[in-house]
Formats: sequence, structure tokens, C-alpha cells
Amino acid sequence: MIGWLTTVDHKRVGILYGATAFAFFLVGGVEALLIRLQLAVPHNALVSAGTYNALFTMHGTTMVFLAIMPFNAMFFNYLVPLLIGARDVAFPRLNALSYWIFLGGGIFLNASFLTGTPPDVGWFGYANLTSRQFTPGPSVDFWILSLQILGVSSMIAGVNFIVTIVNMRAPGMTMMRMPVFVWMTLVVQFLIVLAFPPITVGLIFLMFDRFFGTLFYEVAAGADLHLWQHLFWIFGHPEVYILILPAFGIVSEVLPTFARKPLFGAPVVVYSGVLIGFFGFGVWSHHMFAAGMGPVADSAFSIATMLIAIPTGVKIFNWLATLWGGSIRTTTALHFAVGLVGLFTIGGLSGIMHASPPVDLQQTDSYFVVAHLHYVLIGGSLFGLFAGAYYWWPKMTGRLLDERLGRLHFWVLFAGFNLAFFPQHYLGALGMPRRIYTYPPDAGWTAGNFASTVGAFGIGLGVLLFAINAWRSRRGGLAPADPWDGRTLEWRTSSPPPPHDFDAIPPVLGRDTFWREKYGRLGLVDATRTGVAPGPGVRAVQAPAHEAFHLPTPSHWPVVMALGMVTAAVGVLTHLVLVLLGALLTVFAAFRFALEHHDKPEHAHQAGGLGLDHRKLALWVFLGSECFFFGTLVATYLAYKGRSVVGPAPHEILNIPLTTISTFVLLMSSLLMVLALAAAQRGDRRETRRWLLGTALLGLVFLGFQVYEFRAFVHEGLTLQQNLFGSTFFVLTGFHGAHVSVGVLWLLTLWILDRRGRLTVGDAVKVEIAGLYWHFVDVVWIAIFTLVYLVP
Amino acid sequence: MTEERPGGEHATVGTYVLVALVLTGVTALEVGVIYVRQLAPIIVPLLLAMSAAKFALVVLFYMHLRYDSRVLTFVFVGPLILATGLAVALMTLTGAFLVFNR
Repeated sequence: MIGWLTTVDHKRVGILYGATAFAFFLVGGVEALLIRLQLAVPHNALVSAGTYNALFTMHGTTMVFLAIMPFNAMFFNYLVPLLIGARDVAFPRLNALSYWIFLGGGIFLNASFLTGTPPDVGWFGYANLTSRQFTPGPSVDFWILSLQILGVSSMIAGVNFIVTIVNMRAPGMTMMRMPVFVWMTLVVQFLIVLAFPPITVGLIFLMFDRFFGTLFYEVAAGADLHLWQHLFWIFGHPEVYILILPAFGIVSEVLPTFARKPLFGAPVVVYSGVLIGFFGFGVWSHHMFAAGMGPVADSAFSIATMLIAIPTGVKIFNWLATLWGGSIRTTTALHFAVGLVGLFTIGGLSGIMHASPPVDLQQTDSYFVVAHLHYVLIGGSLFGLFAGAYYWWPKMTGRLLDERLGRLHFWVLFAGFNLAFFPQHYLGALGMPRRIYTYPPDAGWTAGNFASTVGAFGIGLGVLLFAINAWRSRRGGLAPADPWDGRTLEWRTSSPPPPHDFDAIPPVLGRDTFWREKYGRLGLVDATRTGVAPGPGVRAVQAPAHEAFHLPTPSHWPVVMALGMVTAAVGVLTHLVLVLLGALLTVFAAFRFALEHHDKPEHAHQAGGLGLDHRKLALWVFLGSECFFFGTLVATYLAYKGRSVVGPAPHEILNIPLTTISTFVLLMSSLLMVLALAAAQRGDRRETRRWLLGTALLGLVFLGFQVYEFRAFVHEGLTLQQNLFGSTFFVLTGFHGAHVSVGVLWLLTLWILDRRGRLTVGDAVKVEIAGLYWHFVDVVWIAIFTLVYLVP
Repeated sequence: MTEERPGGEHATVGTYVLVALVLTGVTALEVGVIYVRQLAPIIVPLLLAMSAAKFALVVLFYMHLRYDSRVLTFVFVGPLILATGLAVALMTLTGAFLVFNR
């Protein structure tokens, strides 16, 4: 038990993600069945309207954030290091941290049921239904806080996997030799780190409106409710690609294996995945065609949405071409992969219809959309995940799933799913709206709803069959290292792999490197390791001597940090003391976490194959996401500029001379910071301490100017709640100030470490990383000073 | 040892001080131009250009991006451009650019 609580092994973390995701998947499934039971017959009274609202809200939120995303995370965690020939992820403890934070967030969200106040505003939480005026209870607060917690988990994992994939590939594994699943993982991680900041900001605005009386979504104060929709869907559309791209990656691994052919046009499949990810940031307002944006905006997003179908279609054709002429083995994994190709195509066709605004005006908020989204998310994501489960189960557990039971699972699920959701196309076309808890008997919707309910229970039965199969596999046949005659590196090690993944880092001969090793013209086979007899013209070699390697040590600080965060969240809804206790615990655990391996020589050098330090790369990735965070805050400030209904206005209150001085102070602090780094790099500890302290002091001076400014503004009548200018100004500059404060704390920590003789020349990279953060905070202020203070 | 661009250049302390002086000068210029009425028609692009120049100086020299791996440039500049585009799109969709014309 303690082992599982403190594990940092990517394989165990993956299993934790999978088991937890399955538990939440069942919860979301029960919610779905209750929805379908309520709609099975007209004028049903199984649940009230309020309960029904909570059911569809929790079903959507659970399935997206607590089921599909962590199921994907299970595969990322378990397989990515194996697929790239690494022994673990770049930051094993951060990996564990992201899991425990996810678990805490999931439990916190579902704890709302215990208080009788589950969120009931839809998984998209449109303002201003979510305002304190229209939803006074804590239901929305549960939703906001749990999403913020889950967002932290996803962000940490995103940074971790980007660094892992970029920096920890085995020698010879160039980017284009990576398995497609790894490529899709990389694209997804970039989507996560860039798409989550906008919704984080949107949720901050909502939280501040509800708790501090700000006016971000207050129409009477001049706010625009479209802002919430934009911020949500700027996240929400990349989110659907976050959900589906891993399944596309899984299919791209499964089909070649069971067709015994390379993936057709593998580079094009990779490029199309990258394009989908990139274009995914340009189509978000196709969720808002009925929101009144106007014909120009509607047209622009319609065109972009139709364009994004092209790379998706490319993948479909590449998969079909992979199967064509192949030597097909009809395993369960292949069934699910082929099922995805067909069902996602159906979902994609209805999606293309939604891309036309006039058509969408009829379809939006009807069951036609419900049919579409379930075809792409169940027919796409879930079928892909089951394909991956049947494919990689032997590798992860060392046992084989029963193929006959698996095929029964597939057909029951396939039939149940299509019975559940195909009629919903017709229900939507016949005018049945979404999110209604009952309907009249003369609407003509009865038969379709009843069929849909029967189908939903078919889905439930299919999931039950999988659970039975999984349970029985404990005593099933032992799996060899390479049960499917696979093509990629995970099949080159035992099932399940040892803690260190590979006895020796495997050779990389090209794409499908393990296949080339077994059967290629120049292939060399280590028969003793793979259990596969060498093919003709291939010679066996001795297994190389074991390399010395360092395994990451278990840590309890991830659990403690996650506990602190959840405690603080509970405190937000109960008592301030808990907020303080939780925050203190989190900060304490964060310090212990950060310094746990500070002095250990095996942790001093953390560079990857490209010569880049993991931590430095991670920080730059984080700064990329911070561009989105501050970009959203600044864009909101500028969007609301001039819309305040009451004063004071910016020109009446901003003190440019004073702010010019504070800006100069911050700019000079950056100079001192680079001098500190230069001193650290040449080993001059005294100078390092001098410049680090100087930087921190200038940072404190800047903060002092900010406090003075804030107090002066409040004295002159500008508060958070006064007008839109007050809300946007204080939140933007306040969060910048919070970043400066974190930076000061970081620098003082380094100063203290150096004073105690615990910062050596080898630790210069730690000063460099702190410097990068500090300079970024500086450049954000450069932008704020110009856009807020100087631009008239 | 970080991967660096060919040439293995590093900024010197002199470069850092020079950048600091330029940043100070441009900041002073920024504040100065807002009081020059004749520049009112072009004040916004002028301020944005000066701000962008300061931003670039800090990123290129203080954050060492000029001398570091192109991977780091891609990882930061890509999101920066995308975020800027999204911010402009968001402002356009909410009618914010109308404010500048008032």
C-alpha cells in the first residue's frame, strides 16, 4: 500500500490512472443510465428537473475530465517511455504529483453529491447562469474548484511529457522515427499546456465574480457574456482533440500490427495530427454559431472548421490503406480499431454538417449534436481506448485477455452504442432539444428515446463484459514479451516490464524499429530476450551487458501536496482556516518536494539526448503556457476597456510617472538577475548571493510600489467591484504581482541555499531557471505597462 | 552543457549592461511620446513597436534565447505567436478594437 502511495514508477502511475479512470467511468456511466431511464418514456418522474440538470452536468464533466482524459493518461504514462526507449519520464515525482492531484480533484467534484449540491449548470457552465445571483449555492463552486485542481494536474503532466518526448528518446530515435502514438501524445500535451490557461482565466473570473463581487460576467456593469463562451471554447475545442488524438495514435499502432504492414503514409499521419492540433485553436466559435457573433465571424469559423476536416479525413484514408492488402489478424484490438474508423467517420460527417452555420442553427442544442458528440467520443475515443486496452493489456499485466469474450464485448458494445445514439440523429432532426428532462407523448420522440435507452443498457452490458474479462485475466494465460509480433520498442522487453523498463537501452534502426530488428535486411535479433526466433538471413546476438542506471526513489511529497490543495479547496467552501492550512501544507510540501534531491549527485545532471537540461526545457514550456495565461488576462482587459458604466476611468486615476519608476526598478532587477547567473556560472558564490539578493530586493521594491498604487486607487474609489476597469485592472496586475512574489520567494530560497553552501557551480542551471522565470515576469510587465498605462 | 547555436556565443556583462541602458532609454521614450500631440495619430503602433522591442531584447539577451537551442525558441515563440493571435481574435470578436477608434 505504501509502495503505491509513494510510487514514482511511470508504469505504476499509469495503472493508478487507469484504475481510477475506470472507477469514475462507471460513475459517469451510472449517471448516463439514469438520464436514459428518465427519458425512456414521456412525462417520466424518475428524477426531478433539478436532479436531471445535475446528472447531465456531472456525466459530461466526469466523462471528459475524470474518465477519458485519465484513460489517455494511463497509456501516456505506461507506454511513452517504453515506446521511446527511455527508463521513465523526465520528472517521475511530478508524474506522481499529477496523478494524486487528479484523484483529489475527482473526489472533490463528486463530494458535491454528499452535500446535496452537485453542479447543475452543464459541463460548459455558461455565464451568467453560473453567477451567484442565479446559482447561489455551492454547486458551481464545486465545479470551478475541481476544474482548477484538475487543470493543475493536466498542466504538470503536459510539461512532463513534452520534456520526456523531446529529451529522452533513445539514441537514433529521431522525431520522425517515433511511433505515431508518441507523436499524438506530444501534440496532445502541447494542446493541454496551451488550452488550459484560457479556461483557468475564465474560471478565475467566475470565481472572483462569485466570491469577491467582481464584474467580469455582470451585464449591468457593461460585461459581455460572450467572454465566458469564448474563453470556455478556446479551451473546449482543443479539449476535444485532447480527447481524440490519443485514440488516433492507438489506432495507428494497432492497425499496422494486425495487418502486418507499416502504417500507410506514416509521415502524413503525423503531419495531419500536428495540423489538427494547430488548427484546433482556430475553430472554437463553431460552438457559438447561435450566439449572435455576426456573419463575418460565423463565416470565418465555418471555413476553418471545414478545413480541419481535411487532415482528419487524411488519417481515415491512411488507416484504410494500411489495412488494404494486409495480412489481417482479426483480434479484439483490431475490431475496436476498425470500429473507431467507421464510427468516427459517422461522427465526423455530422460534424461537417454542424460546420455550416445555417444548418447548425437548426442542429445546435438538439439531440443531433448529442448524437454527433457521442459518435466521436464513444465511437472515437472510447473504442480507441478499448483497442489500446486489448492491445497493451498483455504488456501491462503480463496476462492475456480472452479473445472470445473480447469479441463479444465488442459486438455488444457496437450494437448497444449504435442503438443508443443513431436514433438521436433523428430525434434531433425532429426537434428534440438537449437538456430537457422530459417530453410530451405526442412529440413523436417516444420510440427513438426508448430505443436509445435500450442501447444505453447495451453499452453498460458491454462495459460489464470488459470488466469480467479483465477480472478473469488474473488467472488467464501468461503473456510473452511479444504476443502480437509487434513493431515497436515496448514489445522488446518483458511483459510486464521490469522497474527499469529495459536492461539496456534498445537500438533504434528506423520507424517500426523492433520490426526492422526482427525481420529487416540488416536486422539483428536477440532471441534470448524476445523469445522470437530469428528470421532467415538474420543473426542472433548476445544480450549486451547491463548498464548502470539510477532508478527514481519513491516520495510521499506528491500525496502531501495534493492533500494540501484539496484541503484548501474544501476550505473555500467551508472555513478560511482550512484555506490557510491547506495553502501552508501545499507550500511546505512544495518546498520539501523541490529540495528533496537537491544535493544528490545523481540528480545534478539532467540533460537529454539534445543536450538540453530537462528543467530548463520544462520551464520554457511552462513560459509558453504563461503566454496564454497572461495573454488571456490582457485581452480581457483590452476587450473591456471603455465599457465601464461608471467611473473612475483609467486616464483619471493611473499614475504614469510613479509606474514608470516601478517599471524601471523591475527592468533593473533583470540586469541584476543576469549578473547573478554569470557569477553562478563562474563559481563566484559571494557575487551570486549579492546579485540574487539585489534582484529579490528590487522585486520587493516593485511590489511595494504596487501595494502603494493599489491603496491609492482604493482611496480614490477604484475597487475590484467598482467597475469593469477595476475588476480587470486589479486581477491582471494582481496576478502579475503574485508571480513577482513567487519569484522573490524563489530567489530568496536560492540565496539561503547559497549562504548555507548548498549551491555549487553545478547548480548554476537552477539559478538560470529562476532567472528565466524572473525575466518572463519582467517582459509581462513590459507588455502591461504599455497596454494598460500608456496606450490611450 | 546546453546545446547552443553554432559559434557557441554567450552574452557578456557588457552586453547585459548595454541592454539595460537601451531598455531604460526606450522606456523613457515610451513615456515621452505619449505627451507629444503630433504623434497622436500613430501613438498606438509606436508604443506597441517600442514595447515589442523591449520584449525582444529581454527574451533574446537576458533569457539567452539568441544563444540557446532552437528547440527552446520553438517552444516559447510558437505559443507566444499563437497566444497573440488568439488575444487579437478575442478582442476583435468582442468588438474591442472599436474602443481604439473612439
